[in-house]
Amino acid sequence: MTRALVTGYATRMDRDEIMHVLRAFQTAGVEYVLIGAAAMGFHGLVRATQDLDLFIRATAENIERLRSALRAVYQGDPQISEISSDDLLGDYPAVRYYPPSGDLYLDVLTRLGEVASFETVEAEIKEIDGTQISVATPSALYRLKKGTVRLQDQADAAALRERFHLEDEE
Amino acid sequence: MPVQKFRSIEEMNKARPLNRDEANFERFLRHCAQWWAIAPKKYPRGVFKFRTIEEAQKAREKHNP
Repeated sequence: MTRALVTGYATRMDRDEIMHVLRAFQTAGVEYVLIGAAAMGFHGLVRATQDLDLFIRATAENIERLRSALRAVYQGDPQISEISSDDLLGDYPAVRYYPPSGDLYLDVLTRLGEVASFETVEAEIKEIDGTQISVATPSALYRLKKGTVRLQDQADAAALRERFHLEDEE
Repeated sequence: MPVQKFRSIEEMNKARPLNRDEANFERFLRHCAQWWAIAPKKYPRGVFKFRTIEEAQKAREKHNP
């Protein structure tokens, strides 16, 4: 496995790279929903993160589209081949991809335990620079985060509940 | 950006942001960039697999003690 160290930070470059990835997802037809801190950012709850959490539809075709999109952005990165349907549809529903450049990495998820399935996560389309981005709604994010043990998720859930006046469902 | 007025901090905290989605997303990216500049991270590059979300979160903490 190749290893490299992050050495520099260029806001514009990161922004462009993230948009390049999201645009490639649209072009390739990847079925995904942005969850996690980036999705919260869309809803105005801004906190720093290192990853883009992508909940993707768990089919071999969609995973191939994901690989294809990543290859379009990170041309020549042989690591992309390691993102496999066998893993994501099998024993490894969480795959982390650290691209060869940039400061954000991608967490690709095909299952979220018993909490939600791709089909049941409510999403809305946001448009940035002409790119359509599928983003989990505040209530979907709240449902994903409220029952978890991670402190950051609990804080996120509390912020979502307060800001969007969400209530627990029975 | 219009001015918002609140009668209490609680009311302020509950107020929805008035920014457009794009402005929110840009703010998120700027915030991340500032954080990365203040506290740079060193990651191994490549693909890593996890059996559960919790396992993935533990691996992340290893790089962010």
